[in-house]
Amino acid sequence: MVDGNAIVEASEVSVRYGKFLAVERASLSLRRGECVALIGPNGHGKSSFVNALCGLVARRGEVRLDGALVAARDPKSALRAGLVLVPERRHLFPALSVRDNVLLGGYAKNRRVRADRAFADVAEVMEVFPELAPHLDRPAGALSGGQQQMVALARAMAARPRIVVLDEPCLGLAEAVSRRVYEWLTMMSRQELTILLVEENPVQALEVADRAVEMYKGVLDDPEVVAAVQQAEVSAS
Amino acid sequence: MSNFLNLLAAGVTAGAIYGVFAACIAIWFRVSNVLNLAIGDFAMLGVLGVAELSQVDHWNLAVSILVDLVGVGLLAWLFDWLVLHFALDRGQADHGIVTVFFYTFALSLGIEGVTLAVLGTDVRSAPAFWNGPALEVADFHVQRAGLLVIGLAIVVGILLWTYLRTTVSGRAASACGESVIGSRIVGIDAARYRRWLFVATAVLAALFGIVESPMNGFTYSSGPTISLLGVVAAGFAAFRRPGRAVVIGLALGIAEALIGGYVSTSYNDVILYAALFALIVFQPRVLGLSTVPT
Repeated sequence: MVDGNAIVEASEVSVRYGKFLAVERASLSLRRGECVALIGPNGHGKSSFVNALCGLVARRGEVRLDGALVAARDPKSALRAGLVLVPERRHLFPALSVRDNVLLGGYAKNRRVRADRAFADVAEVMEVFPELAPHLDRPAGALSGGQQQMVALARAMAARPRIVVLDEPCLGLAEAVSRRVYEWLTMMSRQELTILLVEENPVQALEVADRAVEMYKGVLDDPEVVAAVQQAEVSAS
Repeated sequence: MSNFLNLLAAGVTAGAIYGVFAACIAIWFRVSNVLNLAIGDFAMLGVLGVAELSQVDHWNLAVSILVDLVGVGLLAWLFDWLVLHFALDRGQADHGIVTVFFYTFALSLGIEGVTLAVLGTDVRSAPAFWNGPALEVADFHVQRAGLLVIGLAIVVGILLWTYLRTTVSGRAASACGESVIGSRIVGIDAARYRRWLFVATAVLAALFGIVESPMNGFTYSSGPTISLLGVVAAGFAAFRRPGRAVVIGLALGIAEALIGGYVSTSYNDVILYAALFALIVFQPRVLGLSTVPT
């Protein structure tokens, strides 16, 4: 079933690592400007699912952005369509400066221009993260975990996304820093940015999300399937 | 004093050569996290190829150089496509230092073996671009090929600096070696950067070999020594800083010339192995040797 207002349509997405099926025929659609929380226990396929959406891992099934097919195992295809990932553990470029990390967020659009012009093109992103201003020329790897998370968010915004996927953005961060991340999320969702937020903690996620979907044992939010899996587990134990 | 200046000039010339090879190793390591131990063999292939085409087959020198450089570039491209692509882009395993070491070491051995079989053991050099006796200023003598080498090294250094410091593409090349996943997330094709920089550094090494060969002849086995010098100089620059690698290469060349002049040329190798020893003792982390078994 196609939702006319959907910006992201993932249907029957499966991810397999060798013999292990991490995600099984998961379907999800996101409406424009919606913030959806993808919750569930650790190791149940949430990251695999979003990595598949963003073209980072091989998948079966279809992902469409505004009706256009996003190629599997091709992150550039997702980026071109405006789908940007802020991955778990950030994956910054630690020896490069904060400035370089942020300007590389806009690599897909600015790769043929001079570095100073590319940074000028994305500089407005830094207004949202004033705490990074004194650290622009420091290596990203020398910053605190919270500051690095801000760099990861700034890098994502430099790509001028239409949809942002955040995978456990508060993992390992202090309470105060998590608050700051959630402030940013609230601000972005007010600006009609479409957000898919992966969180282990449903209470925290539902502070900003319009709705939540649960992934359990690689299966996405089909109550009957989830109940059947849980029942099977109880029986087995 | 004039003896010192002449030794210094010889040292700067040799150092420029080491520096450029070190820079080639450093810039490619920066992108791929793999040491190019075949860089000296690309230089050797450049020299022996041009010598064969221009002196044995009597081809025009410019055509010989062009064909030779295209051939070296093609070989580098094929090696990346047939070996590195499968080893690095498709496997999910975390490659250890020993595994990674052997990719280009095997290439080096392969090039040496084929060159020995095809071209033999003779010492050869490419024809000089700028013929004539050494240039003299007072008591100061500089070989013409040496000046060309220094000039080319300066041009290459400026181009590399400009690329890495001022372009988004240069930043992206650095990012590839920092985080492969991070680079994929922002849309950088790390494999493409690795491939084209491997080809570019191979061609550059061949060109340098051709320019400097009138001063030092090449044989099929010249490659590993050049590679080792480059690796030592690049190692002191943590393998990731081409600029610092050039400076260390220059220092090695000058030290080698001064010790050769004032002590004995027999000690030239001592410089190389002392530097390698110092690298292992003081910079073991960059060689992947600092892991303590737990």
